[in-house]
Amino acid sequence: MKIEAKDPVVEIHDLTVSYQKKPVLWNIDATLPKGALIGIIGPNGAGKSTLIKSAMGLLPLASGYMRMFDQPLDKVRDRVSYVPQRESVDWDFPTSVLDVVLMGRYAKLGLIARPRKADKEMAINCLRKVGMEAFVNRQISQLSGGQQQRVFLARALAQEADLYFMDEPFAGVDAATEAAILAIMQEMTAQGKTVIVVHHDLQSAAEFFDWIMLLNMRLVASGPIDKVFNNQLLQETYGGKLTVLAEVGELVRKRQIPSREKY
Amino acid sequence: MSAFYIILTASLFAISCGLLGSFLILRKMAMVGDAISHAVLPGIVIAFLLTGTRDSFEMILGAALLGIFSTFLIEYFHNKARLQTDAAIGVTFTWLFALGVILISVFAGQVDLDQECVLYGEIAYVPIDLWITDSGAIMGPRALYIAALTLVVNVLFLRIGFKQLYLTTFDPSFAATVGISVSLWNYLLMGAVSMTTVSAFDSVGAILVVALLVAPPATAYLLTEKFSHMLIITCIIAVVISIAGYFLAVWLDGSIAGAIVTVAGILFAITYLFAPNTGLITKRLASA
Repeated sequence: MKIEAKDPVVEIHDLTVSYQKKPVLWNIDATLPKGALIGIIGPNGAGKSTLIKSAMGLLPLASGYMRMFDQPLDKVRDRVSYVPQRESVDWDFPTSVLDVVLMGRYAKLGLIARPRKADKEMAINCLRKVGMEAFVNRQISQLSGGQQQRVFLARALAQEADLYFMDEPFAGVDAATEAAILAIMQEMTAQGKTVIVVHHDLQSAAEFFDWIMLLNMRLVASGPIDKVFNNQLLQETYGGKLTVLAEVGELVRKRQIPSREKY
Repeated sequence: MSAFYIILTASLFAISCGLLGSFLILRKMAMVGDAISHAVLPGIVIAFLLTGTRDSFEMILGAALLGIFSTFLIEYFHNKARLQTDAAIGVTFTWLFALGVILISVFAGQVDLDQECVLYGEIAYVPIDLWITDSGAIMGPRALYIAALTLVVNVLFLRIGFKQLYLTTFDPSFAATVGISVSLWNYLLMGAVSMTTVSAFDSVGAILVVALLVAPPATAYLLTEKFSHMLIITCIIAVVISIAGYFLAVWLDGSIAGAIVTVAGILFAITYLFAPNTGLITKRLASA
């Protein structure tokens, strides 16, 4: 089931992505609306991160293309921001919270220029928005998982983009951070910015998002949450995996097989 | 005066190597520095055979090209042949180094270049090898000028590309999404490493230059969590090991380059044991 967005910010056309010739995403075709909080949902290995990495030009496409703001990505890079998975960087790297957020300004600075005072003030402002102003000069090796995620979000805010791709921003963060991140995302979408989030928790997905893409190597559904977030489509997305596990669980219960051998 | 020339030359090379090495170890590519310092050998020999002089611009260029070529080969074997990075490094640099060794031995008769010198260098000759202009004026040791020029080029390169190098080191995928070419900056950095290695190899040799690339920044990394401080401490260590290494060599009547690296190793060991926050013994004492 696929519902087209009326005012599309992102268009995906017949996208296929392969790892070593084995396709991991097949013929994805969808449009995503402006000013929405969009969740990409699916089981492990469904290609959720692969989809946004290929959107950002980090992976070669086997076929198809994507357009943002009706342009190819290279023309609108300064309007698009990417938040990688937290684990993708070395948090023991000798750098401070402020330096990481300032990296969001690098593209606007060009080759030689150093960040100016205005850039620093802006970065501190972004840290204030995510509740990290007390950590400005802290080294990143001293941050907790939730604080690391907030710093990444602040760096994305410093980019002043209109379209955000975020890879698992809610993974492994504390409840306070989850609420803070969600509030910021809702504020961004209220300003007409579009936020696309890879997410794996079905329960919170129902509360967070306006628009959902259900993905399992192919596109199962894309549309407003009230139209596509239903049992039938979720079953189709999570498919065999949910049912097989449920059956195994039932067998274990019926035959009273101990979950561990006893001696 | 000759002691001063030797120490100054060694310090300038050690600072150049340390600044580049700081980026290398944070990129987890210290061994690529090792690979490049060996892989440039055939470039040096070929350029030497073509031009007939040492310390020439062509020689540095030839070696820099080979350094970049070896980086390219390593990336190629890793990405296309799906070989592990360390295996790709091991295959590439030994092969290129062997090629250089064969070239030297085949042309040994015609070439004023021997394996000893290439491997170990001889910084003690710095004060003897003078730069004499066509009009006959003596300008001072030739290696000193090369060391100074190398440092100036490196400082300019790092100043111009600091943001790009820093970002592609910390978070390459983010760098790519804001339009910074990760592979371009990787090759530029490796080009700088090649150039520096070649300039320094006459003085410290292909093996010990690796120590200058890795030991001072690795020591500095244990001492601070700020990158700017890491660069400054690296420079200080570079000067300290050059001075202490020189006098150790004089005292022992041994190889100066060897003594410099020995001091660098001792400094690292002391730091590992006694660094203020991370030192092995410091932590024991704090918890006891």
